[in-house]
Amino acid sequence: MNRNAAVAITGIGCLSAAGMSLKENMDSLFAGRRNVAPPKRFSSSHPAPYPVFEILEDLFPARKLKNEDISRTCSLGLTATIEALKDAGLEPEGMTGLKAGVCIGTTVGSTMNNEEFYREYCNGMHPDMAIIERFINSNPASVIAREFSLSGPCQTVVNACSSGTDAIGIGASWIRSGICDMVIAGGADELCRVTYNGFISLMISDDNPCRPFDRERKGLNLGEGAAVLILESDNLILKRKKKARAFVLGYGSACDGYHLTAPRPDGRGLKNALSDALMDSGKTSGDIAFVNAHGTATRDNDRTEVRVLREMLLGIPFLSTKGYTGHTLGAAGAIEAAFTVGCLESGMLPANAGFTELDPELGASPVTDVTGISQKIAISDSLAFGGHNAALVIGLERE
Amino acid sequence: MDINEELKKIIVKDLFIEDITWDEIKDDAPLFGEGLGLDSLDAVELVVIIQKHFNVEIKDMDEGRIAFQSINSLASFIKERQPL
Amino acid sequence: MGIFINGIGVVGGFGSGVSDLVTCLEKSTTPLKAQGTVYGPASLADTSHLEVFVPKKSLRRIDHFSHMAILGAYLALQDAGMPSLTGTRTGLIVCSGYGASHTTFSFLDSVINDGDACASPTLFSNSVHNSAAGHISILLKLGGPCLTVSQFEMSVPSGLLSACQWLQEGRVDQVLFGAVDEYCDVLGYCWQRFFGKHNNRIMTPLSLDRQSALPGEGSAFFLLSRDKGDSLKHVSIIDISIGNLVNEDVPFPRDAVFFLGADGHKRCDRLYTNLIPPGTQAACYSPLYGSLPIGPAFDMAIAALSFKEGKIFASPESVADQENYSIIKRNSPIASRSISCLKLGKEGELGMITLAPGS
Repeated sequence: MNRNAAVAITGIGCLSAAGMSLKENMDSLFAGRRNVAPPKRFSSSHPAPYPVFEILEDLFPARKLKNEDISRTCSLGLTATIEALKDAGLEPEGMTGLKAGVCIGTTVGSTMNNEEFYREYCNGMHPDMAIIERFINSNPASVIAREFSLSGPCQTVVNACSSGTDAIGIGASWIRSGICDMVIAGGADELCRVTYNGFISLMISDDNPCRPFDRERKGLNLGEGAAVLILESDNLILKRKKKARAFVLGYGSACDGYHLTAPRPDGRGLKNALSDALMDSGKTSGDIAFVNAHGTATRDNDRTEVRVLREMLLGIPFLSTKGYTGHTLGAAGAIEAAFTVGCLESGMLPANAGFTELDPELGASPVTDVTGISQKIAISDSLAFGGHNAALVIGLERE
Repeated sequence: MDINEELKKIIVKDLFIEDITWDEIKDDAPLFGEGLGLDSLDAVELVVIIQKHFNVEIKDMDEGRIAFQSINSLASFIKERQPL
Repeated sequence: MGIFINGIGVVGGFGSGVSDLVTCLEKSTTPLKAQGTVYGPASLADTSHLEVFVPKKSLRRIDHFSHMAILGAYLALQDAGMPSLTGTRTGLIVCSGYGASHTTFSFLDSVINDGDACASPTLFSNSVHNSAAGHISILLKLGGPCLTVSQFEMSVPSGLLSACQWLQEGRVDQVLFGAVDEYCDVLGYCWQRFFGKHNNRIMTPLSLDRQSALPGEGSAFFLLSRDKGDSLKHVSIIDISIGNLVNEDVPFPRDAVFFLGADGHKRCDRLYTNLIPPGTQAACYSPLYGSLPIGPAFDMAIAALSFKEGKIFASPESVADQENYSIIKRNSPIASRSISCLKLGKEGELGMITLAPGS
């Protein structure tokens, strides 16, 4: 198997608080628009309202779904998939006969944590079992496979915050190995009270809009959203006479083996993931235009991440886009891969929202203004709970 | 029960300390690092424990670092801030 | 595919370790009586054996879900001769249908009982689906790629595909591949609501008019590599098929014995009837470990043990005999057949893992 083969990205769909399509998202990023506010769709009893990046628009996928009784995470994932398929020029009903797989990252989307159900159960009431049925019918990858009658490999990746990056890397390997002609790869996650309360309890949430890499950063803001990349084999794009938007050139994944919630201070896992991704791509640091960093704005993440970037990719511009989307957990890696393509295509980087002052402990600043780039290759990386690290090398050209 | 004893019992129970009993914890021994071997996850759990049992808020880990040095420092912190 | 199974570790209602599973297979009964829970019998796992591998102090704050996974992982390594993992490129993949569900609900307890501001960060961190993989990687000091997959009944075939891909593309030299699912009272409550109360203690899979599934929990781990290992009896994974009955015909290997993942859920058990080619020989072992999404991992372990022991173990007597194909009810020679472990999901999803003696 040719591990160094580029995998074509022919379509992209993306939604977040910054926009309901990839174009809307990119417009918001370059305009510096941040849609962050206390949550509207749920409430909490915390004295400080920790702000979130919420999608307030109704989700109207432009088709009647086979099954509409699915979780919000699945609806987000389907909406992104529909945009991506349209972008790729693939008819939803025209995919029979393709060896087509689905690989989607999520966190909330796989967990039976419905608070309403559980409260009623605890109180000895008779909760509505429709909630459980919805959960059973809401595996994010399965929902997409069922909607489009796809019968290839199907996988929901639950690697916490690196799930989206991992899902794209895994989907690319399915293409390279020939088991799929096409893969719907990405991530989706909805906002919910459980993760909201969970991250606040860890004292890594900011009660103001987040400030990735900033000296005074206090933590993350949660967000919700989804992004999907359509990956295709060379045979298929030749047959369809379709031009690729970009290519997955490499993928790396490595764990810290250190702590459940804190990254390894020396960043060993991230270093290994980045090396593997670069080796996979056949590229070197000199080829890299920028890094779309994980940049959650927690003290630990940003410190570890910048230490590694300075060691391995010194002088290469980096930024976090979480200042525009919040931390979308399982969707983050996919949304950021989509943004990486968007930035490469436009030849520009948006400013790292939320950054005002250099942290001397980090010793490096992210991109602070809209900046032009000329190289055609970039990296998107993710660090996750459990000490997982993942990175993608994405380029506009095959070689 | 005096507050030091109460704290020791709560810590052993709520942080699932297996290899030491509450009465073996010394009042002035470090809780983190070398002492009891607690880590950053225990620190944030301790913040919740103090809120739940004593209704005292620890706003951030700068405050936490001072309070969590030992059972004595934690007891003083709580006594100073506990609502009457 | 050239992927070999070098070690197997299993934990479940039958006990822990391959010898407990083989004992159970030889007796062909459920040796551990299904234990009573609030919502009826279930096949529950005991992880006290974990203290042999990991000091209790290091297991602090780790929940039962991760305990089962960690024990399965260590047992697999022990079965492989306890190879040192230092300096190796070892990947880790953990599959789970429901994740750490008990801890998820315990986290909700902390919110419901004490308010949002008293949500427990320890419970939250452990409720994340990849917590088991996180704990294993920390205890074993792993540094390679790490993946957790959640696909209900297809979790194991799907995750195994990734394990084999990693090995085939040279991303790693070996993979610690495993699966874990736990029982919790909410699950038991949901089963009772869906399927009604009962005191049935024996599963009768494939008796198509009966709902006889009992919830199980446990873990099954494998050390996989491209290297045959030292054992004389090599077992290799030769194929993984993932598909959907609704959309396509799935080619079945000829001359294979089928291990059926039927587990007493009558809606799913019915799907096997029309699918299995007439005249096929099949076995079903789910009464020995219960009904749980990661059941295929136990079938895979039993398949590997069948090659090592040189025989197909008799299926438990409680598995219903079939008209069109035969359920093996006596220990039988394996001859040169492959074994295909087949699992069907309620929407027609199909996952099939085929093993053969290695060469």
